[in-house]
Amino acid sequence: MVAKKRLLAGLASLAVMGIALAGCGSSTNNSEGNGETSSNEKITLTYMHRLPDSEGMTTVDEIIKGWNDSHPNIQVKATKFNGKAAEMSKKLQTDVEAGNDPDLAQLGYAEIPEAYTNGLLQDVTQYAKQYEKDFASGPFSLMQVNGKYYGLPQDTGPLVYFYNKTEFDKLGLKVPTTQDELIATAKKAAESGKQILALEPDEAANMLSGLSGAAGGWYKVEDNKWVVNTDTKGSKAVAKVYQELLDAKALNTNPRWDPSFDASLQKGELIGTIGAGWEAPLIMSSIGDSGKGQWQVAQLGDWFDNGGKTGPDGGSGVVVMKNSKHPKEAMEFLDWFNTQVEGLISQGLVVAAKSDEAKTLSTWSEYFGGQDIMKEFITANDNMGDFTYIPGYSAVGTAMNEAAAKAADGSGKVSDIFSAAQTTSIDSLKSKNLSVKE
Amino acid sequence: MTAVSAETKAQIRARKKADKIRDRHANDLPRSMQPSAPVKVLTIVVLVLALIYFLFPIYWALIASTKTPHQMTASNGVWFAVGLQDLPAAIARNYNVLIDYTKGMFWRWVLNSIIYSGVSAVIGTLVSVMAGYATAKFKFRGKGVVIGIIMASMLMPAALMTIPQYSIFHMLGISDTMISIIIPCCVSPFGFFLGRVYAQSSVPDELLEAARIDGASEARIFFTIVLRLLAPAMVTIFLFLFVATWNNFLLPLMMLSKTSLQPVTLGLYGMVSLATFNERGALMMGALLGVLPVIILFLCLQRFWQAGLAAGAVKG
Amino acid sequence: MTTTTHAVAPARSAKPKRSGAAKRENRTGWAFMAPFAILFAIVFVIPIIWAIYSSFFRQVASGGGAYGGGEITNQFVGLMNFQYVVTSSRFWTGVGHVLLYTVIQVPIMIIGALALAMLLDSFIVKRVTVFRLGYFLPYAIPGVVASIIWVFLYNGQISPIVKGLAAIGIHVDFFNNSILIGSMSNITTWTFTGYNMLIFMAALQAIPHDLYEAARIDGANGFQVAMRIKLPNVRGAALLAMLLSIVGTIQLFNEPQVMATADPGIPKYFTPMMMALNTSQNTLTPGGDGPASAVAIMMALIAGVLAALYALAEKKVNE
Repeated sequence: MVAKKRLLAGLASLAVMGIALAGCGSSTNNSEGNGETSSNEKITLTYMHRLPDSEGMTTVDEIIKGWNDSHPNIQVKATKFNGKAAEMSKKLQTDVEAGNDPDLAQLGYAEIPEAYTNGLLQDVTQYAKQYEKDFASGPFSLMQVNGKYYGLPQDTGPLVYFYNKTEFDKLGLKVPTTQDELIATAKKAAESGKQILALEPDEAANMLSGLSGAAGGWYKVEDNKWVVNTDTKGSKAVAKVYQELLDAKALNTNPRWDPSFDASLQKGELIGTIGAGWEAPLIMSSIGDSGKGQWQVAQLGDWFDNGGKTGPDGGSGVVVMKNSKHPKEAMEFLDWFNTQVEGLISQGLVVAAKSDEAKTLSTWSEYFGGQDIMKEFITANDNMGDFTYIPGYSAVGTAMNEAAAKAADGSGKVSDIFSAAQTTSIDSLKSKNLSVKE
Repeated sequence: MTAVSAETKAQIRARKKADKIRDRHANDLPRSMQPSAPVKVLTIVVLVLALIYFLFPIYWALIASTKTPHQMTASNGVWFAVGLQDLPAAIARNYNVLIDYTKGMFWRWVLNSIIYSGVSAVIGTLVSVMAGYATAKFKFRGKGVVIGIIMASMLMPAALMTIPQYSIFHMLGISDTMISIIIPCCVSPFGFFLGRVYAQSSVPDELLEAARIDGASEARIFFTIVLRLLAPAMVTIFLFLFVATWNNFLLPLMMLSKTSLQPVTLGLYGMVSLATFNERGALMMGALLGVLPVIILFLCLQRFWQAGLAAGAVKG
Repeated sequence: MTTTTHAVAPARSAKPKRSGAAKRENRTGWAFMAPFAILFAIVFVIPIIWAIYSSFFRQVASGGGAYGGGEITNQFVGLMNFQYVVTSSRFWTGVGHVLLYTVIQVPIMIIGALALAMLLDSFIVKRVTVFRLGYFLPYAIPGVVASIIWVFLYNGQISPIVKGLAAIGIHVDFFNNSILIGSMSNITTWTFTGYNMLIFMAALQAIPHDLYEAARIDGANGFQVAMRIKLPNVRGAALLAMLLSIVGTIQLFNEPQVMATADPGIPKYFTPMMMALNTSQNTLTPGGDGPASAVAIMMALIAGVLAALYALAEKKVNE
């Protein structure tokens, strides 16, 4: 890094002449205070996120206003990053190298180990402990890498089962509880042209790893070396079920974020799907009013050798960035922000905070036949298997999605998704000079 | 643009005249060149089909911009999902979604885009033409090397330059400012190339010599004579740079943090990059509204750029 | 940048008078060149040097172990990144896609643009302006937006085109691997045909009228005029448009990247440009700026060779 910085500095000084010509003064940058802060000195924290902030939500700025009004000395400024997660990671990386990173940034749980390895994070273990009681233990533990904590969890993505109860009743189906029942139910639904399960190739990295992970994780550290095994009993079960349904044409294969997926829901072809808790409002808006009152949420059955456990799909935490000068204040704010349950729920999140306030919005329960779906999500949350991610998981996810798309169009097998995960995981770790036990 | 030269005006006039003559004398062509009826019909059919091809996607986007996510898949793609009397409400709904999503910044972003594109294109056009003129009309040390390097740089993916550019601009303390977008956008090897080609062909050496003999300074010659001759070329370069800057979202994505500085294309990109964003109708509305200034500019400058392209084509 | 006397070639220094003029010309030339050159140095030269420099490094975790030491270090790897690129089937697949694109899309677009220009120039239709503007309009639509619109128009659930064709019994899947390149080419063609057509139209209008007059006296028909007079006169414009389109194709990115969001089966290394960017964002492995720079440099080298070959071939044909 030093060598590269020096090169750039040299080149940049050559360029200064040109900038002077362009007639622009230089201004020094923002958030850095002058090192120490006494308690009555005013500081400004910057926070980069990519929450939706859409119509009808309590926006991040509105939530933060509550903090800023009561904390005149610790002002927080949020910026929304208008790009994809991978682009935000790249931006943060470049920011850190330039010494211009925000104090706080939102990162997916799967990205946190990678961010640590890439040198983006600051150890805040000493501040984290006191906030542990405010958060569910599963997500809280995902904020640590190698025993040290780097931030606080914000939301979680427990996998649950969304299904159209009215349609199920009409076809004489019940939510299956075992693997055999699941396969039989799906095949029965297929006879009437309906599907009760979807492969979602663009979500394979998140959903299939979560489903497999419900039965146990893929990555373990032994002797400070990674043991990678993506061919677990969970993976085998997922591959078996999905492949069998795929071959029987009893599986929906539309990508989750493609309009074709919305259309399958709208047309009533797809009457059941595994999804993360945060998908509830999305499913509502995809189906529209026609499905109102018909849908329900259920826990996953023992479908994938998971013994009734569920797995994680998405969810993110907020980390304290490497060059933040105010980690203590940042954590103080973060604990406050991540427990603003009402506002965060309005953003469509299933919060990681332990709270009695996590209530189902009335529009949701109306849609889901009066069911208290938030309670289901919390149940699922407490029932989630541990899944540790490796540094370099973003490349693994890319390979999995690609393999899943091949499985969907018949040019590959579902099990290829997991073998792609295996090889890419090892390649990815090795290319970062990390140790792998083979 | 004040120095619209006599040439440009003459060319505009010539084109208008040609159009007029064409209109009036379409049937006066010599019999041998008179197309037969089937040929005529076929030509018109082909041209109209091509017009449909080019305009249909825009028409579709217009229709789609009035639809809710549900209507997007559930309704007929070529017509509005609601009756005409409900159309204003449908438009208002998507407009509100758009404004809400962009937190009221939408028009600010459009304005930013206009500033970025306008300023970059003006500066870029001027420096490109100057450099093109320099390499076309002067011998100087290292000229060959300079031309070679500039032309070769056209082959490097511009998008990959954004990371080092960010580092440089941050070191200079100007990342996250308007300047950090304008400077990279006003340099275009293609602009230089056009400037050089035009200068080679439309600036006669004799004219320069004559002016020098009259004792005019080089700067004066350039700004009073050369720029005038190159005016049509400049419009072409201007439009090219304007559109290129308008389309660039990778550079602002990396360079800018402040929401208030973002260009509109980046805002739209932000919408699509959230997988969960399914308001595709509102997105289409944003895309069309965001592109409106470019289209207006094109229409306003129409007569100029057509003349400019003509100047380029003769020499090309 | 300064001209010192000893640097001037001896043959010239024999004529001190000319040397003074040459000096002045040198100064003036650089004065006009300077603003562009300085900006160019900041925006292109330094980043390119940076890219070349960083292509000899890899970004690895410090300390090793399972997680590394929470720092990233630049490890000098010599030519390893280039070795990776050259032996990577992904890279060559991407190069293949670009070449295929160049061979299919560029000629179709140029020929289409030329045909439209000639038809509009054939005195058959009267409202030329309507067509001219209509064809040109897509050029104003930003590449990302154009790609998004077309991705919707390829989508089986949204697109009136797919639905309409299905209604008459033709089922097309624009995302099918065998026609994917065609679907992408269509987006590029849609955007740029009008621009190229305008250049051709301008060239056609510049053809001296006495040529037509002569043809008329010879009794040539409209088709013959088009083939014998118009076509040869726009050759220069066509060759230039071709070269610029090829250069544009090398940077092919927006179309595949946007299409990949709709179809995860399109790999992140579909074109070298996409591979470079996704490598830099660590969504491909090995990731980081080092391997990404190596991808970009290799592609630029290949493109340079191709452009040189094209220029050479053009010269040969001209002779």
